[in-house]
Amino acid sequence: MKLNLDMLTKGLLFVGLLLMSQSLLAQRDISGQITDAETGEPLIGANILIVGTSTGTVTDFDGNYSLTLPEGNTELEASYTGYASKSITVGSESVVNIQLSAGELLDEVVVIGYGSVKKDDATGAVNAVDDKDFNKGVIVSPDQLITGKVAGVQVSKNSGEPGGGTSIRIRGGTSINAGNEPLFVIDGVPIDNNGNPGTRNPLNFINPNDIATFTVLKDASATAIYGSRGANGVIIITTKRGSAGSPSRLTYDGSYTTSNIIDDLPVLSPEAFRNVVTFVAPNRLEKLGSANTNWFEEVTRPATGQNHNLSFTGGAEDIGYRVSVGYQALEGVIETSKTERTTIGLNYNHSLLDDDLNININLKGAFTKDRFDQGLGASWYFDPTQPVRDPANTAFGGFFEYGVGLAPRNPVSGNEQIDATGRSFRTLGNIEFDYKLNTLLPGLSAKLNLGYDANNGRAATFTPTTYRNKLVSDRDGEIYMENFTRTSSLLDAYLNYKRGFGQHNLEVTAGYSYQDFDAEFPQFLAYDLANDIFGTSSTNPAAEFEASNFVVQNRLISFFGRVNYGFDNRYLFTATLRRDGSTRFGPENRWGLFPSAAFAWRILEEDFADGLRGLFSDLKLRIGYGITGNQEIGDFNYLPRYSLSDAQARYLFGTQYVTTVRPDAYDAGLKWEETASLNVGLDFGFGNGRISGILDYYQKTTNDLLFTVNVPAGTNLSDRVLTNIGKVENKGVELTLNAAAINTQDFSWDLSGNIAYNRNRILTIDQTSSAGILTGGIAGGVGNNVQILQVGQPAYAFFLFEHKLDANGLPLVDGVDHNDDGSINLADMYVDTNGDGMVNDLDKRAVANPAPDFIFGLTSSMAYKNFDLSFTLRGSLGNSVYNNSSSDGGYLNRVNERGDIFMNNIHESALVTRFNQPQYFSDYYLEDGSFLRLDNITLGYNFNQLGGRTSLRVYATANNLFLLTNYSGLDPEVGGIDNNPYPRSRAFVFGLTLGL
Amino acid sequence: MNKLIKYGMILALFTATACTDLDLTPKSTTTADVLFQDESAYRAFLARVYAGLAVTGQAGPAGAADISSLDEGFSNYLRQYWQFQELTTDEAVIAWGDEGLADLHNQNWTDANQFVRAIYYRVFFQVSMANEFLRETTAEKLDSRGVSEATRTDVQAYRAEARFLRALSYWHGMDLFGDIPFYTEEQAIGSDAPRQASRDEVFAFLESELLAIENDMIPAGQNEYGRADRAALWMLQAKLYLNAEVYTGTGRYADALTAAKKVIDSGVFSLDEDYDNLFLTDNHNSPELIFAIPFDGESTQTWGGMTYLIHAPVGGSMDPVNYGINGGWFGLRTTSALVDLFPSESDDIDDRANFYTDGQSKEINSISNFGDGYAIVKFQNVSSEGEPGSDLDHGDADYPMFRLADAYLMYAEAAVRGAGGGDLATAVNYINALRMRAYGDNTGNITQADLDEDFILNERARELYWEAHRRTDLIRFGQFTENGIWPWKGGVKEGTTTESFRNVLPIPASEILANPNLSQNRGY
Repeated sequence: MKLNLDMLTKGLLFVGLLLMSQSLLAQRDISGQITDAETGEPLIGANILIVGTSTGTVTDFDGNYSLTLPEGNTELEASYTGYASKSITVGSESVVNIQLSAGELLDEVVVIGYGSVKKDDATGAVNAVDDKDFNKGVIVSPDQLITGKVAGVQVSKNSGEPGGGTSIRIRGGTSINAGNEPLFVIDGVPIDNNGNPGTRNPLNFINPNDIATFTVLKDASATAIYGSRGANGVIIITTKRGSAGSPSRLTYDGSYTTSNIIDDLPVLSPEAFRNVVTFVAPNRLEKLGSANTNWFEEVTRPATGQNHNLSFTGGAEDIGYRVSVGYQALEGVIETSKTERTTIGLNYNHSLLDDDLNININLKGAFTKDRFDQGLGASWYFDPTQPVRDPANTAFGGFFEYGVGLAPRNPVSGNEQIDATGRSFRTLGNIEFDYKLNTLLPGLSAKLNLGYDANNGRAATFTPTTYRNKLVSDRDGEIYMENFTRTSSLLDAYLNYKRGFGQHNLEVTAGYSYQDFDAEFPQFLAYDLANDIFGTSSTNPAAEFEASNFVVQNRLISFFGRVNYGFDNRYLFTATLRRDGSTRFGPENRWGLFPSAAFAWRILEEDFADGLRGLFSDLKLRIGYGITGNQEIGDFNYLPRYSLSDAQARYLFGTQYVTTVRPDAYDAGLKWEETASLNVGLDFGFGNGRISGILDYYQKTTNDLLFTVNVPAGTNLSDRVLTNIGKVENKGVELTLNAAAINTQDFSWDLSGNIAYNRNRILTIDQTSSAGILTGGIAGGVGNNVQILQVGQPAYAFFLFEHKLDANGLPLVDGVDHNDDGSINLADMYVDTNGDGMVNDLDKRAVANPAPDFIFGLTSSMAYKNFDLSFTLRGSLGNSVYNNSSSDGGYLNRVNERGDIFMNNIHESALVTRFNQPQYFSDYYLEDGSFLRLDNITLGYNFNQLGGRTSLRVYATANNLFLLTNYSGLDPEVGGIDNNPYPRSRAFVFGLTLGL
Repeated sequence: MNKLIKYGMILALFTATACTDLDLTPKSTTTADVLFQDESAYRAFLARVYAGLAVTGQAGPAGAADISSLDEGFSNYLRQYWQFQELTTDEAVIAWGDEGLADLHNQNWTDANQFVRAIYYRVFFQVSMANEFLRETTAEKLDSRGVSEATRTDVQAYRAEARFLRALSYWHGMDLFGDIPFYTEEQAIGSDAPRQASRDEVFAFLESELLAIENDMIPAGQNEYGRADRAALWMLQAKLYLNAEVYTGTGRYADALTAAKKVIDSGVFSLDEDYDNLFLTDNHNSPELIFAIPFDGESTQTWGGMTYLIHAPVGGSMDPVNYGINGGWFGLRTTSALVDLFPSESDDIDDRANFYTDGQSKEINSISNFGDGYAIVKFQNVSSEGEPGSDLDHGDADYPMFRLADAYLMYAEAAVRGAGGGDLATAVNYINALRMRAYGDNTGNITQADLDEDFILNERARELYWEAHRRTDLIRFGQFTENGIWPWKGGVKEGTTTESFRNVLPIPASEILANPNLSQNRGY
């Protein structure tokens, strides 16, 4: 291994500081009581922090606290929810009583990368959501906790699958091929958020119940500290922890869920189907069955779920801890689909060496089990006149099946016979050391964070010999298993110096980070089974095997620094710099530099703002600019490499099948994608903080996109190569408003709303042309694409023909010579947009954007005496949806297009359009996908006077109670192309929370 | 405890400083330095250049794709070469609604057509693979790696074969696209975009290239099965010269005849006794095959190639079991124009008339309906003994790219076109050898008076239909665009002529965008 001299120097310095400080320790004990300034009542659970450190404690039942004040520290800060924080300078006394006043602005602290900052001092676009504001209801993955809660953050769960994946966009997508998901940092550990075989959502390993806060870093001045991974924003998750000296508390939260399908599928009923066959293919009438089967009903069910969480929080002198266990089981509304999760969480923090050394340990583990349905897709178009079962058909397990590979498959047979499961065990842990070096230099501390993330599991599918597999893949029963092992290790070491000098406040952070990612994916396929006895548990019945393995590794080494400087509480400056080295790029481009700078101005602190103070309670202007990167691509794309063929892609020389080697395409000059972004924001508050808001404008330009583009034939080893080319821009405005609308003794009502506008454009793909790259594959045909990446258009704009309409506003039907030119072709139906006298590919136009212009969310929380009622409304405006279920199923010839053997059901839209053949590229299928959804509504009741510290709350939540949209399909929230995803259900949750 | 923590932190920091290494190497792929330490890698690499005709990526039947501008199954070399040579002609129509597929038979493709893109990038992928092979097998590279004498001898033939394969693809490229980008192993990866070479120039290159490698190619009939020998090279020469008038304006029929004659006179090849066996799973045993693309149900899988050719023509009332497959794809049929070239609609007279008519109509009302147009039973996944192939999805039959019958027909055509060095009597004998096999006796034999250009074109269709010759043949006979009509040509049921610019395909829009040195073909 190479020794990096720079690193070595830093390391030795760090160690040296630790050793020197050891001998210089001195401290004293302080105790006291914290009370309400008006009533004199003790405040239980108030926080006391030693200023300039991250140590502190919490008051006990009587409002008492005690702590050890290190030498050199004289300032304490007391805070309590709903009360203004107060700083006290300690003299020689050992008893310090503090009185706090209610009703003033809180001094909130927000987490930023490698540290935290007082909210008032934040210079970047940073939004925090804590647990009291989280979404309620059926929630598996933690990202759903903040859906609709943060301006400019779009969390889309594009299906109703239990535990299904989400896509998160913070201020639009900056990239084409390098990923648009934000970086997740959990308790200081940036995690690998890639999907894995047999799992639905990589974030499912975190129990939402363990999370204390979500902090979303949106602009470059905030995310540049994460350098090459900051371009799509950063989401920092902080889990709950215990605090030293706090009373022990046991909390149980349990709930029961029922969920139901909302709508039936828009396909023909058996009766309507018979009528269509009579009309379209009368010669096929005798092929109709005599059954009346609603296939969708056959594969759906009312689903139930349960969720139990038990946590124990406590503390002793110098020690705080929290232990939690959780269990969640959730069925999907499609038969057999379900997700199950068992989690443990452990937090332990300990202050040692008279509070100079703080150690914080987090350990999380989750065992998830998933089962995947095998029936939904097939249920759409299976002939509704055929029966589910055909006892005589023993070769197919007693299910009705056509004996033809191309024919649709019986969805119930798939569900009942195929066992497709996944499971994973993921554990994430870290230990943080925070060592104060006040004796060396007041305000200096050293931090070390060691973390690991280990995730392994497998997907396993068993298909018995009685399933129709042999017709499709020529495998008579098969066992497929795909394993994965992902591990990542992290070391962060940094120094923090924080001190005030009169009007000047200075904080400097500088450090080093090392993170390594390894993954391995062995898999096998065993088939031609002698019997179906063992499922996936034994491969002995298999006659044939195929197997493979794949190993990947990458590493990131970084140096980072940040300076915060404040003058007179009026002017705040932040500058950050990160230098990242990544194994994903060649030696010349391996190291990237990511700077940012921000300035904030607290206007009300100015003398000339005297007149404004009556109106405003807060007014802060923020300006930030920075450069961030994106490196979410595969490994070694810069290196000339050879790939070997597998056993099924060999080539015959003589009598030997030769395993071949292929030189792969590469771009030796590959480098980071860089996003330069500007953010201008205004934080404001009126009416003594009862109304507050944030207004942000941003502009992000991504240069040197990591983009897989066509290269001139002959210049590389494939037609397309991942290279740095092109430019994308996102511009937008975000507004967040919070209001404490009513606040009386018995009744309170808080409202919080946000709305964000984003405009995305591809500025260049190369220097010369406006031609585009087709993308957006659909169901129907092979290789059919309905979206384009084209200069001047939003990324993934829909690219379609303009369908001519008749007098009734319906699209002209196919197969008719509408323009009387003697031939039937595309010109009869579609507009010749380029006016060249014919209609072909060149007449398609980029017409609409799958991404919304506006996204918005509104949260309302009311409390009346012991009752509370809250809801979250969420929606989007201006996003278009291509109704692929309608285009793929909506033509009459679908009933009999495959000769004599079988018939297909069709989409109801065929009865309106009367299309005979599919018209995949018609803009008729493009619809407005704007919507407004009531994500959740919760009614709760708090029992009081239960004695002691016992608390009890019971609640009922409804999810997805209503959806307002003009979209004709089941649900417009599908990510642009509606390709029959797992339908969303309506769920009701009944639960209770008991605290002891 | 405190000491433990302290030393723990120190240890952790040293671990960190030690781990500043960013020079990771790939684990599941490898680099040339490592790979070529094993001398068998040269053979493995050559196999990959050949395999470019058969597979679509390094995982079968799909995965780790070679080219990515479109669906991997569509990107197969043979599938797309076949589609442009057949679907654009009277010999084939296809039912499916894949974007741009109907344009082939309608002859109204544009430069955005995904299949145009597929064959274009496939052709140049082959050229690039061959070039890279040549770069990795230079004398300097072999010296620097200390390669053994035995391997050096093998590599000499390998290099000739790589150049042959490059020439084969350049011929396809020039035939399909006209003026094309031209580059050799001299242009390293990452160099400037290649310039466009005229057909004349590519023709001249191919002519000299084939002459240059002839002696390094292994003699006819002596190479391993699957690899090209001198006879394969002569076939390519014959093809090149026979079409020279189209490519350069100057006929080279005598050279074509000479090349075909070399194949015939080599004495290595003879006609298969049964025409039908040429297209079955045991066709690797056929004495007639000169150069084949081997496929195998277990070891050489793809969604193109033979998988496509054995599934796509099956549908309607055809029982897949009879063809050794698990299900038809309800795609390919033929037009009445081909049917009418035969004396009857069944193989009762001419054994080559392998039409499937049950439930099929001869005329086509709707191309998208499989029942319209006769199906064809030619490529099948069963052996000459009727045994099904090793896999019901992916066929075992090899694709006969060059076979002796074609050499006979090229000889005859060159002779009819007045080439020196041959004679018409021999030509008639060659034709009659094919017809004797087809008719089972001499009732189908012709005389010298029957032998004219029209007869040759029609006989080529009867003998070689669905073997990816038709488009080139029709163009050579001036029947592809401005002349020649067959059902649904030009998108009209009765057929209509089209403009002559469609004798070549457009260069894909994506390539025009990427390479500023290229100008688009006239008319597009």
